[in-house]
Amino acid sequence: MKHYWPILKGISLYAILTGSTVLMSFPLFWMISSSLKTLEETNSPGIVWIPAHPTFEAYINIFHNQDFLRAYFNSVFYVTLALAGTLISIAAVAYAFSRIEWPGRDVVFFLMLSTMMIPPQALIVPQYVFFNILNWVGTFNPIIIPGYFAGGAAMIFLLRQAMSQIPKELDESAFVDGANHFQIWWEIILPLIKAPMATVATFLFVGAWNSLLTPLMYLQTIDLYTLPVYVSTLFNINNTVQQWPTIMTAAVLTTIPLIILFFFAQRFILDSIVVSGLKG
Amino acid sequence: MPENPYLNVLVTAALTVVFIIVTSYLLGVLARMVMKARGASLKIQENTFAGYFFAAPWIVGFLIFVVIPLSFSLYWSFTDYRVTSRDPANWIGFENYINLLFKDDSFRSSIVNTLYLTVIGLPLQMAAALFLAVMLNQKMRGERIFRMGFYLPVILGFNTAVLLCWRLMLNTGTGIINQMIRSASLAFPPFGYLNRSLIFIQEITTAFFLGINSGKFSLMTKVLEAGFPAANRVPLWVQSPLWTKMSVILLMVWGCGAMMLIFLAGLNNIPRELHEAAEVDGATSWQRFWRISFPLLTPYIFYNMVVGLISSLQIFEPIFVLYRDNQPIVSSAISMVYYLWQKSFSHFEIGYGSAISWVILVIILIVTVVQFKLQDRWVTYDIY
Repeated sequence: MKHYWPILKGISLYAILTGSTVLMSFPLFWMISSSLKTLEETNSPGIVWIPAHPTFEAYINIFHNQDFLRAYFNSVFYVTLALAGTLISIAAVAYAFSRIEWPGRDVVFFLMLSTMMIPPQALIVPQYVFFNILNWVGTFNPIIIPGYFAGGAAMIFLLRQAMSQIPKELDESAFVDGANHFQIWWEIILPLIKAPMATVATFLFVGAWNSLLTPLMYLQTIDLYTLPVYVSTLFNINNTVQQWPTIMTAAVLTTIPLIILFFFAQRFILDSIVVSGLKG
Repeated sequence: MPENPYLNVLVTAALTVVFIIVTSYLLGVLARMVMKARGASLKIQENTFAGYFFAAPWIVGFLIFVVIPLSFSLYWSFTDYRVTSRDPANWIGFENYINLLFKDDSFRSSIVNTLYLTVIGLPLQMAAALFLAVMLNQKMRGERIFRMGFYLPVILGFNTAVLLCWRLMLNTGTGIINQMIRSASLAFPPFGYLNRSLIFIQEITTAFFLGINSGKFSLMTKVLEAGFPAANRVPLWVQSPLWTKMSVILLMVWGCGAMMLIFLAGLNNIPRELHEAAEVDGATSWQRFWRISFPLLTPYIFYNMVVGLISSLQIFEPIFVLYRDNQPIVSSAISMVYYLWQKSFSHFEIGYGSAISWVILVIILIVTVVQFKLQDRWVTYDIY
């Protein structure tokens, strides 16, 4: 009996892990399965795991839905523009905190870390009034422009940690060769931290792609809606029957970019977190 | 500014970049002048310029988007400012705060609801994360796939689309979760008893919290009078005030992958020799976990607790997507931030909303400081 124990233990371990993985990814399976069902099947009292006759009607309909397509374009547009500015400004600030000695650096760095405790929601009311004065309510500006000022203390911290690990001699020899700070930052440091940059870019992408609260506040007309805002309007509590196949089709199409991105970036994310012990 | 919304934001973005570069340069020049006046060497002057130039985007953004808004909201929280009215804001002293803390029942229930999510949800979330991390730490084949599977919910997270899928799954009558519970109870009676006892415990606990909310314990008496749930009972996830918060907790536990990665990092850092030595001395794996791994994991538990508390005190999206406009039950689920959103943007009471944000800010600061003060009592840093 004794030597069967390790095998038994291994089997139960795999059973638990597989079971948990199935449970964790179940919503994804259910989303896809429901998007292929008819309205009757989504509301049926019996379990329909996989529809007997999958229908692509909801997909065909949604590709003729101008509002959905525009929301998709808006999301891609918003995320691209926000990501570009945020990533570059964060990389610049992280460079200042890790590669340059300047008076006041530690004070500013400590201030930056302590802003992580401020809930972003505590700022939304005065920011709304501020953007209202600038006449920016009802445009994309309030959800994109703030990121250009190195938004995201945790991300700056992550990049700073990565940059600190590069040997100092590299900068010094470049200085001797006559390079300036901008060249060292752009041509030497940034190419060396591609993996942390990819991690930060992924977190920023996910954060922007999922964000609901600020787009909801500022994008007040349907032609500006991003995907999360538009998808949230598909579900209306006052309807007696919810159009679940349509909602789930929109949901599948919304999550596809996230899943593709995660598939390619998981190597960087999972490793960089396990190494640095930092949560995104 | 161009009429086209896309062109408009592109032009604004370009102007912002110019603005940032100019202010960065000016800030750098200013810092260099200060250092020159102090008689610093040329090398230090150059570094000062470069440091302020590169850090300026954050410094300027901090002033524009954090310091100024916070100061204004502090001022407004003492006024009756409304964004829709043309009258100037009137100074009303501490009236907003007094109303908020002593008279506003909705705010009190939003605090109790948030507390419920924190006190019950966070430990469950951390326990699930720790359990999965310990399982994954056994170093076997395919670990990476499991790790991916557990982390995926964090990426999908609180996306509206995913939350709506949960809304579908949580339907009381036709939702897949209750259908599975029903068929499992039919096929396997002990599971039915387990299900009914869990329902009973859950409803009593929640009724107690709702009683604290309203000061009336009638719902609690009702639950107790109804007695042990009938055989065909299923959870009423998004239908009954007794279950709204449990559904949010379910979502929190589902997204425990981020905490799991932190625990995994902690487990990786525990020296192998400690476990090997204990094994030689005849300690069981259970003993080894509680006597060796757990004490060494306390710094990671502490980190997860600080981050988890801050994020559970700020919860918004799940409540918005699952319960918005659902009049009879939304009051049993509103969180502090949801209430802030409702007051400021449905009712446009900026003064009152500012007071709410300051109260939330102070609560988070107090909770975080208290955690740091208490950490010496239970967090072990010795080994590192």
